[in-house]
Amino acid sequence: MKSPISFAVAAAFSISALAQDKPAAAPPPSWQQGKPAALAESTLHPFAPHLTGRPAKELPLDKLKVPAGFKVEVWADGIPEARSLALGDKGTVFVSNRNAKNVYAVIDKDGKREVKTILKDQDSPNGIVFNKGTLYVAERGRITRYDGIENQLDKPAEGKVIVDNLDPSRQAGHFWKYLAMGPDGKLYFNIGAPGNIVLPNYMQASVMRVDPAKGVLETVALGVRNSVGMDFHPKTKELWFTNHARDWLGDDSPNDTLHRVARPMPHFGYPFCHQGDTLDPEYGKNRSCAEFAKPAQKLGTHIAPLGMKFYTGKMFPAEYQNNIFIAMHGSWNRTTKQGYNVMRVKLDEKGNASKPEPFLTGFLTDEKADPPMWGRPVDLLVMRDGALLVSDDYNGILYRISRAK
Amino acid sequence: MIPARINAAAVAAAFLFLAGAGRAADPNLCAACHGEGGNSANPAVPSIAQQPAQFISTSLFMFREGNRKDPQMSPMAANLANADMNELAKFFAEQKAAPPKHKSSAESVEAGPGLAKKFNCSQCHGAKLLGQQHIPRLAGQQLEYLKVQLRAFKAGTRADIDGNMTSAAQALTDKDIEVLTDYLAGLSPQ
Repeated sequence: MKSPISFAVAAAFSISALAQDKPAAAPPPSWQQGKPAALAESTLHPFAPHLTGRPAKELPLDKLKVPAGFKVEVWADGIPEARSLALGDKGTVFVSNRNAKNVYAVIDKDGKREVKTILKDQDSPNGIVFNKGTLYVAERGRITRYDGIENQLDKPAEGKVIVDNLDPSRQAGHFWKYLAMGPDGKLYFNIGAPGNIVLPNYMQASVMRVDPAKGVLETVALGVRNSVGMDFHPKTKELWFTNHARDWLGDDSPNDTLHRVARPMPHFGYPFCHQGDTLDPEYGKNRSCAEFAKPAQKLGTHIAPLGMKFYTGKMFPAEYQNNIFIAMHGSWNRTTKQGYNVMRVKLDEKGNASKPEPFLTGFLTDEKADPPMWGRPVDLLVMRDGALLVSDDYNGILYRISRAK
Repeated sequence: MIPARINAAAVAAAFLFLAGAGRAADPNLCAACHGEGGNSANPAVPSIAQQPAQFISTSLFMFREGNRKDPQMSPMAANLANADMNELAKFFAEQKAAPPKHKSSAESVEAGPGLAKKFNCSQCHGAKLLGQQHIPRLAGQQLEYLKVQLRAFKAGTRADIDGNMTSAAQALTDKDIEVLTDYLAGLSPQ
């Protein structure tokens, strides 16, 4: 401190005022936290979508591959930063944004798709789910309901806020939400960790739920760095979700994971333990992974699992029934890239999950290039006819996978 | 104060042009402020020549959608369709960036590379700070423009695509911003 006066002023205001005198203490940017000195020169960087979208006709669609007996085609393009998907009672496909600010409705009319922007000026409206006539939208800080939305797509009425104050600190990292409707009528969503590897506050790094009629939060799972995909098992009704592990521990550690919530309020380890068996070099000191719940499956390192859906449709062969499809957004924090595909996970009678196997591939063109891919799967939707829709935020496109006739 | 030497006549002409039968995606409209071929002569207006196409289209998108707000750019972007933005982005990405008029001080030239590394600039903007994909070229960019952006990122008032710049700018002092921008504005854009 330069003088007693400046000390008095700083102390009177806040710790942040004090911190301004010591700029060296400012934390590293959220995506850089936990980066070891050995990787200081790394040029790995996050990718971003083409927010204006790219026309399907300009893309190498012939590179896309699905198993024999299936086909993949473009269902709709021109949907900037197509993220999460939801299906209306009348067949409207709702599509959300993460960095952009809109929610779109795609209407299937005589075999042609019309895209309408139904909500604007949203604050990172990544989470959407449709239930009994109502569209629920999770922005970074609140969840809002839009009743009877399919009857008023051209001019939706003002929404009603169910719960807010979900992001009181305007956290730097992982502020976007995924939203799912539980069999209990409650809305399930993530509150991500505010950086790569940091101690979360009282409600971060969790999966939460809220009764739309009450607006009171309940904790479902803790120690979840960031989940951007969840669904409920069609038979057991248990919640399953995907989770992104931390960065900067090298190309092959730790794995992103698939989780099953088999008992009340499990703690899955973050930031102390990753993938159920790997202690964090900083937060894991003097801890044991034995105190935390294990993931249902390891999915691959930096593979970025996003949307996941149990397949419940009638179109695919019987062996696909109740399998899990997972959209892998793909790695940035890895020198050799992987992911950028849709994977299939099978469950046995006890609910043990198999290793993931590729279902839709071809977006990854050069694992060493920057960028290595031309498209990135985000979310999945099982359509009424049993076809599987896949969103791609990099290009603003929805693909449809169906049985080849 | 920031010099706001926008050419009012040029903007007015651009609006008249827009109101008429002209194409929304006419690069001449952009050149009215951003300079011939996108090489700006105004320290407060960024050069867009040879910027990565994805950065240009992303910026236009954010102005139209309201993530970014600017008295000149918001109305200019309001009439552009996504395809127009892609077309303009491609055009200016293909223009050659002119050498900067700005001369960096000897102190900034010495301290600049260290700061660019320390504050993670080169990690995303590239070793020569030429930008890539959605990440803009900083080398040879206009001085005032760079300062205003960094100050706004630090204040949390400048929208960025994924929060990374807001996050990265938090550690910058006013002095860091002065030195970094003086260094960047004098770098070769090639």
